[in-house]
Amino acid sequence: MIELIRRLLRTPQGALGLSIVALVLVLILVGPLAAPHDPDTMAPLVRYKGPSPAYWLGTDQYGRDILSRLLYGARATVVMAFLATALGSIVGAVVGTLSAFLGGRADEAIMRTVDAVMSIPSLLFALLIANLLGKSSVDAVMAIGIAFAPGMARITRSVALTVRKQDYVHAAIARGEGGAYIVLREMLPNVVAPIIVEATLRIAFAVMLFATLSFLGLGAQPPASEWGLMVAEARRFMHLSPWMILWPSLAIALVAIGFNLLGDGLRDALNPRT
Amino acid sequence: MSLSYLLKRCGLTAYTLIVVSLIVFAVTQVLPGDAATMLLGENATPAALAAVRDRLGLDAPIWVQYGHWLGGVLQGDFGTSLRTGQAVGPVMVEALGRSLLLAVLAIGFMLSLALPLGILAAVRRGRAADLLVGFVSYIGVSLPEFVTATLFGLLFADWLQWLPATGYVPMTENPASSLAHLVLPVLTVSVMLIAHVSRMVRSELVDVLHTDYIRAARLKGLSARAVLLKHGLRNALLPTITIVALDVGYLLGGVIVVEEIFALPGIGRQLIVAIEARDLPAIQAGALIMAATYSVVNFAADVAYAWLDKRIQYD
Amino acid sequence: MPPVLEISNYTLDYASPRGDARALDAIDLAIGRGEALGLVGESGSGKTSLAWAIMRYLPGNAREPGGSIKLSGEELTTKTPAEIAALRGRRIGMVFQDPGTSLNPTLPLGEQLAEVLVRHRALTRRQAWAEGEAMFARVGLKQPAQMMRRYPHEASGGEKQRVVIATAFACNPECILFDEPTTALDVITARQILDLFAELQAETSVASLYISHDLALVAQVAHRVAVIHRGRIVEQRTAAGIFTNPRNDYTKRLIAAVPDPGRRLSGAAPIPSGVPLVEARAVSVHYGRTSRLATFFGRARERVVGNRAVSLSVDPGEILGIVGESGSGKSTLAKALTGLNPFTGEIRFDGRRIGGIADMDKAYRRNVQIVFQHPDASLNPRQRIAEILSRPLALYGGQDGPRDMAVARLLEQVHLPADYARRYPHELSGGEKQRVAIARAFASKPRLVICDEITSALDVSVQASVVELLLDLQRRHGTAYLFITHDINLVRQIAHRIAVMYRGDLVELLDIEQLEAGPRHRYTRALIEAVPRPVGGTTNITIGRHSPGPIPGGFDK
Repeated sequence: MIELIRRLLRTPQGALGLSIVALVLVLILVGPLAAPHDPDTMAPLVRYKGPSPAYWLGTDQYGRDILSRLLYGARATVVMAFLATALGSIVGAVVGTLSAFLGGRADEAIMRTVDAVMSIPSLLFALLIANLLGKSSVDAVMAIGIAFAPGMARITRSVALTVRKQDYVHAAIARGEGGAYIVLREMLPNVVAPIIVEATLRIAFAVMLFATLSFLGLGAQPPASEWGLMVAEARRFMHLSPWMILWPSLAIALVAIGFNLLGDGLRDALNPRT
Repeated sequence: MSLSYLLKRCGLTAYTLIVVSLIVFAVTQVLPGDAATMLLGENATPAALAAVRDRLGLDAPIWVQYGHWLGGVLQGDFGTSLRTGQAVGPVMVEALGRSLLLAVLAIGFMLSLALPLGILAAVRRGRAADLLVGFVSYIGVSLPEFVTATLFGLLFADWLQWLPATGYVPMTENPASSLAHLVLPVLTVSVMLIAHVSRMVRSELVDVLHTDYIRAARLKGLSARAVLLKHGLRNALLPTITIVALDVGYLLGGVIVVEEIFALPGIGRQLIVAIEARDLPAIQAGALIMAATYSVVNFAADVAYAWLDKRIQYD
Repeated sequence: MPPVLEISNYTLDYASPRGDARALDAIDLAIGRGEALGLVGESGSGKTSLAWAIMRYLPGNAREPGGSIKLSGEELTTKTPAEIAALRGRRIGMVFQDPGTSLNPTLPLGEQLAEVLVRHRALTRRQAWAEGEAMFARVGLKQPAQMMRRYPHEASGGEKQRVVIATAFACNPECILFDEPTTALDVITARQILDLFAELQAETSVASLYISHDLALVAQVAHRVAVIHRGRIVEQRTAAGIFTNPRNDYTKRLIAAVPDPGRRLSGAAPIPSGVPLVEARAVSVHYGRTSRLATFFGRARERVVGNRAVSLSVDPGEILGIVGESGSGKSTLAKALTGLNPFTGEIRFDGRRIGGIADMDKAYRRNVQIVFQHPDASLNPRQRIAEILSRPLALYGGQDGPRDMAVARLLEQVHLPADYARRYPHELSGGEKQRVAIARAFASKPRLVICDEITSALDVSVQASVVELLLDLQRRHGTAYLFITHDINLVRQIAHRIAVMYRGDLVELLDIEQLEAGPRHRYTRALIEAVPRPVGGTTNITIGRHSPGPIPGGFDK
């Protein structure tokens, strides 16, 4: 782990991405403690305020403190995105590994179907599933997870097939190793790295997708302080206070940039040959 | 490219469309609360509900309903909107036309920027221009469309007042105004694509510029221009066809958001309206048409790639 | 008249954060008109750096502290990039190692030659195309007009290399650099390319720099040979003198490492005990399956054949060499014997019948081990050496004492320090990695080790030490080897019997004595004749002599 962080810090992407993601993690953990105000307390007298010493990032249409809402919302947005990605990655990894393992016609049938499912654009798929399940954060997580699964299955399968053809796997087979050892000790460590990279990049996408679903009214519901929802609500008042839109937008972009950079950094850091 | 490859690819596309229709039907038809209740409201009498169910064929086994629906779709009949009572097919196809105009303009705009930027970054690898393009593209891929749209609206429509904030004017009515209304939507959906495609073009070209045959071309004494244009770009841009086709998926997602924000009556907006109204036939038609569009684009891209790339022997 | 290419006191450094690394040190070389100079060195010796320096194709971190490179008296190091671009391809050409990658896959072969003529000889495209066709004919390409329109993937390796050579000769340059032009080719194709080289060299009086790792080959295609080691030219002599009278210590070591079929390394063949250790009886392997669609269209192709009813046996303690070109099925056989490919027919081990992969039990696996060609691929990059080596111990048992002691003993057996156990494969050199792979194979005390091209990715001197290690292990443990290689000289040094494979068939199986007396099969003869032997010998490619004509593509069985 220490070694991995050291390797990550060697590239500018890795260093910057790690810093941003670490910062976000700290905010998720201690954010509610550090928040200067209660996120849901309304103050009719201080509505639509710009940044000030009392309200660092200003206030919204009910006079709620934007900074506090963002700090609380970090959990709603980032944790949900992470869960959605984890769900999609696990389902995808199982399907992809199974497909690579079965091989032959079963593999072909599974992958053709995965291709077909992937021809439904992610957002549309997530919309349909969110619509099916209902309007809530948990349903949005399920929707994004399911929408991600085919892509992760495809990647897992291709990585697994590449690794499967390596001579060290042949050597293990020729040695008479059992299936469990070959999969767990020879293949898995080499398969996991590219999947972690892909999953990290997808967290960035999930953050955006989750915020988009909330924005469209199919994710988190008011009065939650989910960032996409904050942008959606602020749109009506953007003439009165542009800050209300700016801060949650920046927060979403920052987190997405952080995970994108971290993913690219991990790609280099997890390559044992560099 | 052989005939059998073409046939195989056609078969795959057909399979894809069947799977997509199954998924679309499944995720809409198993909705909590049935269509009859939705149509008549919670207070409808059981007798009225039963009558409607009977009329819509909702009591039949699910696969009979699917067969009935798919049979209609194949004849161009997507059913009747529960909301407006009109046939959804023509409405969706008309909306698709407006969305396609947006999509085509966006792809054109994207290519006109992403290709030069990607090539510039690859040729000046490691220098200031490359780092700048790389940095900006990180921001580009990290901004969801609703954020970009909102910020562009705030900047160009509210503060600068250069462009209309929302709305749609048909091209036949007033071309100038029509285009003016399309500028912000096109800009918005292009941001992510420009960032993504320029990065892909850069990495493809960087890889190609490191190949032995580029080295061989240089050592044959060809000019730097000939090496780049004739030997480099040709091979680097081929895979871009596939990448752009895959990005049409992002684009369609972006179109949904952008049409909603800029009140552009395309298929994405129709879909959102349908979802809000739980208008099943409209949701099914919209989703199926969008997914089918994407499949057809990818089919065309794959066939074009196979035709252009002489290396690969498809069987 | 000055030499065509004259390099004097040339030094090249590569800048790195840890200081400059010297790549070339005070190089002095001269090549006259019509002369071929061979440059021999191992990987990292600087031979390729020298080629790039001459072509003025140096990376950004290259530094040139001094020296000069002159082409017909003209200094190259001070020329501008534009002047160099005008010169490359016209006055100085280059032929590359792998024709598979040095031709643009999306341009027709003819275009890749014609563009040089358009650029340097100011021909119109039509003229260039006609001229190109003539060039193609001259380098021995059959049906040149058709070949002009073909794409690289539609031509064989030998044909592609002929295209590259035609391109290099297109503008009648004064000097051509040949960078290992036959290394990526099969033995017989390589020989044909060498013949072509000799022919063109004599006809055109071009000054050639022939770069290779293969001393035996260079000594036969070049008039003079220069040996490069760690960036220095350590010796320069006539081709005839380099083998008979080397002066430099490194040259002597290099010569000692070159496989010489006249020098046997292994002992006499074991006396046959009656029961062979391993016997393959009519083993066949098929690859691939026909798609339903192809069947539907009535195009059910014949399945690709890996092996066709191969029968052979290995006696205990015997070294059986298997030779053949790529695609001859020799590796397929190795995979069938180790259960990596399904096969039909049967294998007998110690008299026990093995009809398929399912019959390969622990005892069989333990006794039959395999070492692969590329240690990079055969050692898991995410496991330390200790884990790699302790695995067979855990699997087969048979260790005494603690596990790390056993690993240390295995390492010692292959002459590696015990502390390598803690390292990852990428921290080892290619030769060291292959030693680890060998140690892993020997951990189970096997009775047969299949060596699948295990030396072909290694440098000559590393190869020699790995072969020495193998023979040492064989003497100590009495292990039998199935030694698969394309290097005929090497196999003649160590094998007791040799099996020759061609396109999936075993064409000939003969004792080493029979081979030396003259093989019977035409293909075996062609194979042996194609390979240059290190000292003078029978197969000299004499410069200027006409090649004996192309060897027909097919051989009857």
